[in-house]
Amino acid sequence: MDREARRKLEEYRRSEAGPFENTLIDEFLTGEFDRRELIRRATVLGMSVPVVGAVLAVAGEPAPAFAARARAAAGSSRLRVAIIPPPAALIEPHTWLDQGGLETGGICGEFLTRVVNSKTLMPELALSWSTNKEASIWTFKLRPNVKFHTGQTMTADDVVATWKRLASPGSQALSAVGTYLHPGGVQKVDDMTVAFHLNQPVSNFPFLVSSTTYQAIILPANYVLGTFTKTPQCTGAFMITKYSPGVGATYERFSGWWGGTAPLAGVDVTYYTAAAAADAALLSGSIDLIGQVQVTTDRALLNNPNVQIFKAHGATHREMPMRVDANNPFSDYRVRQAVALTLDRPAIVKTLFSGFADVGNDTPFAPVYGLTNSVPQRKKNIAMAKQLMAAAGHAKGFSMTLTTETTGEIPQLAQIVKQAVAAIGINLTLNIESATAYFNGTQTGPPKGWGNTPWLNAPINITDWGSRAVPNVYLVSALSTGGVWNAAHYANKKFDALVHKYLSSPSFKDQSAAAVAMSNILLHDTPVVFPYFYYYLAAGSKSVKGYSADALGEVYLSKTSLG
Amino acid sequence: MARFLLKRFALGLITLVLVSMIVFAVAQLLPGNLARNVLGPFATPASVAQLNHQLGVDRPIYTQYADWISKFIQGNLGNSLEYQVSVSSLLGPALLNSLKLAAVAFALVVPLSIVGGVFAALRRGRISDRVITLTGLSLTAVPEFVSAIMLILVFGLLLKLLPVSAAAPPGAGFFTTIKYLLLSAMALVMVLFGYIARMARAGTIEALEADYTRTAFLKGIPTRTVLFRHVLRNSLLPTIAVIATQTGYLIGGLVVIETLFNYNGIGHRILIAAQNKDVTLLQSGVLVIAIVYLVATLIADILYSVLNPRIRHATAE
Repeated sequence: MDREARRKLEEYRRSEAGPFENTLIDEFLTGEFDRRELIRRATVLGMSVPVVGAVLAVAGEPAPAFAARARAAAGSSRLRVAIIPPPAALIEPHTWLDQGGLETGGICGEFLTRVVNSKTLMPELALSWSTNKEASIWTFKLRPNVKFHTGQTMTADDVVATWKRLASPGSQALSAVGTYLHPGGVQKVDDMTVAFHLNQPVSNFPFLVSSTTYQAIILPANYVLGTFTKTPQCTGAFMITKYSPGVGATYERFSGWWGGTAPLAGVDVTYYTAAAAADAALLSGSIDLIGQVQVTTDRALLNNPNVQIFKAHGATHREMPMRVDANNPFSDYRVRQAVALTLDRPAIVKTLFSGFADVGNDTPFAPVYGLTNSVPQRKKNIAMAKQLMAAAGHAKGFSMTLTTETTGEIPQLAQIVKQAVAAIGINLTLNIESATAYFNGTQTGPPKGWGNTPWLNAPINITDWGSRAVPNVYLVSALSTGGVWNAAHYANKKFDALVHKYLSSPSFKDQSAAAVAMSNILLHDTPVVFPYFYYYLAAGSKSVKGYSADALGEVYLSKTSLG
Repeated sequence: MARFLLKRFALGLITLVLVSMIVFAVAQLLPGNLARNVLGPFATPASVAQLNHQLGVDRPIYTQYADWISKFIQGNLGNSLEYQVSVSSLLGPALLNSLKLAAVAFALVVPLSIVGGVFAALRRGRISDRVITLTGLSLTAVPEFVSAIMLILVFGLLLKLLPVSAAAPPGAGFFTTIKYLLLSAMALVMVLFGYIARMARAGTIEALEADYTRTAFLKGIPTRTVLFRHVLRNSLLPTIAVIATQTGYLIGGLVVIETLFNYNGIGHRILIAAQNKDVTLLQSGVLVIAIVYLVATLIADILYSVLNPRIRHATAE
């Protein structure tokens, strides 16, 4: 054992580490999780590379290889990117809710932290961070000498102004942070330090200021709303220089980027509304990269030898909530269980995703989180489903309308569900609306109710959910009592307490135990069916180098080149 | 003729007013609240009410209509709700793009289908006639998204002869622009060839069987002269009317073609506006297309009346 490493580690534990760091080290040394999980969790707590190296050395493992990936030399190539669909609204980061918007802004914008490889947190505009012993105050040290595209130097004032806007009414980031953070909680400590005072402990808060909260692009304090595409004013490797709504956008390399010089000279984005058109453009060489492709609409690309598929193993999924509070058969948990038992999930994954998906187990803990591996997988069981229907007094079945949206493969999934539940006598009528109509209406949230929007009020529906590096949004917004996106109107105090325990716990062991307990409750109550978690796919020509797909769909190009 | 044209013009204006009313009424039927759609789900009811007031949608519907149409007449198309830029800055380039595509398609389909139709009529009953007629019919029967994808596969991906996108790069010259538009224009030719060629064929056969043609032949006038001076002049009248009615479709109705070739035309723009519930853009876009239709029809009427002596001399009677 490395005595020097042990001495350094003990010194760190005595003088710097708080309960979160010490719990993490103890759990690793007692074998609760592996080296990879240690590194991932250490980055969340802002532990330095030497400290992580010391922990690994004490455990007899080699030091972590955090060396930056070799980057191609700066060249004159421009990358031609297809984005589907075009941004649906004004490009205004704190109001983003659509894929086109986040992809467009993500090319030039940066965050305090960034999630890579689906769940690993990396410093970006924040260099380091730490928390108090309750995990209710998180302090971020900012990276020095970061320049905005305007030439201004980034300071704590810019971060505070950005985050106050993100935590204020009207911000779409409230779905991620609204429960924990109010505008007054964002405070400047000094010119290069910002503290987030949370309403409740959140042990994985650094994830919530990362690219996983895609609205959280840091902008100058003097940013004027509505000018995002008119003046280059982010901090990223590329600055947006031209934007034509619904047509395309142009980006040029930013010579003052803190990360050095990006290999690409620029990026030319073209917006597409039809996947077939984008596929043809890629195959004919008119474009180099498609930001997102789907198995249902882009099969022509999947096995093409001239195309490389970029895959991000994330938690993107569909939820099928059933209203637990309505005066209909779904108010009985046995009926909801029966519905869930009719689905042949491996077959669905094969049919809809050609295997590019994980089977869901009716909890938001996707396999990528690795927290609930011990929970038995729910499988198709028509006999048991029929028994449950009979026990609930619905042996002969009933009729109901399933409302959903024309997004991706969802209409096909709805058809599969309709056929599956017919086996237990449920006659589902499908009401498939445009995404605009489906998400329309009010959704002010409890205690005044869930407004009148179809997606939060239909007796049973199917909704698309993006990937998150941590499952906080799913747990708090979709499943906790009074959650703003709780389409099932599910309420369970025991579950709520476990969510709180999960969010505030410093220990992997405790988090995992809470996740397993929550999963078992959800499997019993089944307010929501989670049929699968699919991979985020992007497609590019063979000449695209150094690109990685992001589970949420960010198009991050600072290391990308054309070879 | 002046009376005929004046009548047509007046009818066109009445049609436009009716179309504007229908467009406005239909836009009101779209589900949801305008301000809520713009501000998103987390906006407070107060800010939603404030924006609705700013947009003027809390006023009586007839006041909203009068306001919109009077501004439209003055050239003020308002701001796009979703993109927060002027509607004219979005529709203008899109309309220009559609005109370019329509022009290329016209330049291909009109001579091709007229020559094809006349040739088929002259070779009536023979194999060449059947080939032209059947090919034209078959192409018309194939949905445009199928023919467009076939063209993309063959000329864009397999032979790599033409670009699969209709949008030329910024700063492209005349010939490059034509090259980019060619594939989408070919898809339109496939849609329209059969229709126009059939009209030209039918008109030519009718003219060939007319007494004045028989008389001309009996007088010993050369066939070529009979054809150009007597047959074509009469036979193409209905064809011109058909071509004119297709102008509106070529400019405003190419949603599928523009989407498949990723072309920022007015049809594509309106489709996105409808998907995003951008009511101001949608209303103005549809009305602009209606104007294009009516202007095209009016031009066809003028052309028809100039070529047709019965209408030209109607005023004198």
